[in-house]
Amino acid sequence: MDVISHRTALTYDKSSSSGEHSHEHSHSHSSHDHSHSNGHPHGHSHNHDDHHHHAAPPSAASKFLMRKFEGVPLIHSILAEKDSRRISYFMCLNFLFMMVQTIYGFITGSLGLISDSVHMFFDCLALAVGVCAAVMSKWPPSTRYPYGLGKMDTLAGFANGIFLMLISVEIVFEALERLRTPTEMSRLGELFVVSTAGLAVNMVGIFAFDHAHVHAGGGGHSHSHGGGGHGNDNMHGIFLHILADALGSVSVVISTMLIHYTSWPGFDPLASMLIAVLIFASSVPLVTSAAKNLLLTVDAGTEYTLRETIAGISALPGVRGYQATRFWESGEGMVRGVIHITAEGDPEAVRRRVEDWLKSNVEKVDVTVVVEHGAEGGCWCRRKD
Amino acid sequence: MPPPKPAPIPIPPASPNVLPPTPISPTGTGIADVQDPEAAGLLSPKSQAFSFPPPQQQPPLEHNAVSTRRISIAEPAVKPGAAAASPFNFTPMVATKAPVTPKANQRRGHKYKHSSVSHQIFLEPPPRAPLSLPASLPMPTWTELYRSISPDQRTRALWCLCHLFVAGYTLYSAGGSLALTALSHLIVFDAAGASVCVAVDVLSNFEVWKRSSIRHPFGLERAEVLAGFAMSVFLLFMGFDIISHGAEHLLEGWWGPRSAHGHAHEEHVARVSAGSIDFAAAAALAVTMVSATLLKNHARIGRAMKFAALEHLPSILSNPSHLLTLATSTLLLLIPLLSLPQSSWLDRALALSMALSMIAIGVRLVKVLGSMLLMSYSGGGEKVSRVIDEIESDPAVKELQEARFWQAHHGLCIATLKVVIEAGMEEGRLRERLGRLVRDRLGGPYGKGAGSKWEVSVATTTS
Repeated sequence: MDVISHRTALTYDKSSSSGEHSHEHSHSHSSHDHSHSNGHPHGHSHNHDDHHHHAAPPSAASKFLMRKFEGVPLIHSILAEKDSRRISYFMCLNFLFMMVQTIYGFITGSLGLISDSVHMFFDCLALAVGVCAAVMSKWPPSTRYPYGLGKMDTLAGFANGIFLMLISVEIVFEALERLRTPTEMSRLGELFVVSTAGLAVNMVGIFAFDHAHVHAGGGGHSHSHGGGGHGNDNMHGIFLHILADALGSVSVVISTMLIHYTSWPGFDPLASMLIAVLIFASSVPLVTSAAKNLLLTVDAGTEYTLRETIAGISALPGVRGYQATRFWESGEGMVRGVIHITAEGDPEAVRRRVEDWLKSNVEKVDVTVVVEHGAEGGCWCRRKD
Repeated sequence: MPPPKPAPIPIPPASPNVLPPTPISPTGTGIADVQDPEAAGLLSPKSQAFSFPPPQQQPPLEHNAVSTRRISIAEPAVKPGAAAASPFNFTPMVATKAPVTPKANQRRGHKYKHSSVSHQIFLEPPPRAPLSLPASLPMPTWTELYRSISPDQRTRALWCLCHLFVAGYTLYSAGGSLALTALSHLIVFDAAGASVCVAVDVLSNFEVWKRSSIRHPFGLERAEVLAGFAMSVFLLFMGFDIISHGAEHLLEGWWGPRSAHGHAHEEHVARVSAGSIDFAAAAALAVTMVSATLLKNHARIGRAMKFAALEHLPSILSNPSHLLTLATSTLLLLIPLLSLPQSSWLDRALALSMALSMIAIGVRLVKVLGSMLLMSYSGGGEKVSRVIDEIESDPAVKELQEARFWQAHHGLCIATLKVVIEAGMEEGRLRERLGRLVRDRLGGPYGKGAGSKWEVSVATTTS
């Protein structure tokens, strides 16, 4: 029985940068030279990469781009991961469309086009945040982030969900305002063209992200441990964002047609209110599941196992008591925690016994077991405050 | 000669909140029985390493008693080989698979153990405290929440509504002034902050908020961090919203002659006639002052942010969000009052600077609160690595295997250290020393007054 070989935050710190992930993908040809300074043995990076099982290999275009940007670690690491690659491609598409729209808007002096491109600019910003989150979530643990940045995806998803909720509330308010004081819609044809083009772009996005979204959707997302693992909440949030935009375009297309035929301007606010309610409802499950994850709540099944296991600790020989038990689930289905044991006899043996006991009952567990003698002056954990 | 009495139980019995699934009932031998036979399989530890001094004598009576007992231990608590070598390795400190109900023969075993022969032979099993699981604390329902609100909290909640109402009034009376719209957004943010404060206050009436349970290992207090994070996203959203609205207004002005919207922004210039009081701005000023002084509105968030440049200001102003609200509402009040020239450009510039500072505050908040949610400690920059260096240079520490410092919520930081020490070192001393070190270096000037608590866990090994 050896001491559990925890890979520690300190050693992580020295190990490598996130650029390492890219090796697997770019190994297909051996002629290039590695610009990564960490100089890892290649075999290492392979088994490291097994954690991130990506079914879809990068396309030929992606491979070409990756070769192109070998020297730029940032872009390379974005391209290496499936999630971040998709988001960044879509971001580029969005950005290009925005540029075209802005330029055309300025040439024709169309206000609708320009204000729509302001909107698209914020979309790009949200996508950029998504890319950052997707890349950062692969960073290894460090002294600053002792448990890694795995929760970054969840945090980005949470922020995106909150953002969508706020946007839908704002849309409802604006729509009410417009219903109260109807303004004459002008340039319906232009609006129609713009929103159709926007819809086309967003449909591309929806189809691109549809695959990634499969894991996250369906509302049965609350038991996220052990499942898809990474990327869910972030991709879910971005998917919802694009969906919201697409629905917005659809509503504009339909309402402009209705207004054109009936000349009642109330269709537009009504349609946008409907869309806003849909968006709000669809972001609720995202926000709640992300919030549960971020609150470090232990879900019911794991709670039961933990309860049994902790109760069993008291029956282990040499254990007189335990205090300050804190066990939480980290994103990847790991259970981490701290427990203070009051022991008698050899503390080393008791520690091992407790660690083995935990390992045999809870799968994937990493617990810091502090063993104290009863006589010791009193750790904070036994002081009542 | 009376048998040696087990020492009085040191830890009082579990708090009444301990709920099933596994009630642990202390028995005479200290065996924690497990009623649920299925769970018992899970619970039987493989305690091969156990070593009690072997008994010197082996009276046949005891043999009977023990072997009947052993039958009930379905899971081998002792290695078969070891059992053959010393059949009286009396180690059933074990949750047995079959429920150890007080059967007649087992009772007999008890009796013999207390007989004058056996108590010399058998070591009395050490006194076992009934160990309490961390209680599972019920979530309060809405009615419970409502009933628990104290009169003081009720007034504060009503005040929050009042605050929100003022925000609505400011927005309503903005009438095209971008700066006043921005101010109303800020007041909404303040009102939301005040409401979160009241909600936190109400929730902390309940155990589940503060105490750690298995379900919520850090209590619900982390929810406050999450709410703060959501609010800072809100602040960012409003900042961007103001900017995009401003850009639209600007474009409308730019393309004005050609657009059908006309000059909507021209009207607000004379919204308040020169020399009179802008009631919206005055109300905003008053309501913010009251909230900031009486409610300690987002005090904790303010403390978590701590812009170094603002530390020297008096307490209301050192919270950047209050500072922003107060400054802009004062400005908006003074401009018409002193008959300063009002122009749409001033209005836009004011709105833009407000939006930018809202974004700045929002980004700062997102970083601080987000790092808490990402389980890291953001309090001290390089301090953590300096503490790690100091720990590594401690003479008793041979190697520092793991050092994790992070903040769970506003009031609690957690440090887990795994150190390798020389055999025979005094662990208690070391633990205390390292704990003090962490608390001194990191727990210090976190805001003014109350710092957050550090829970330092030092696990030691000798190998």
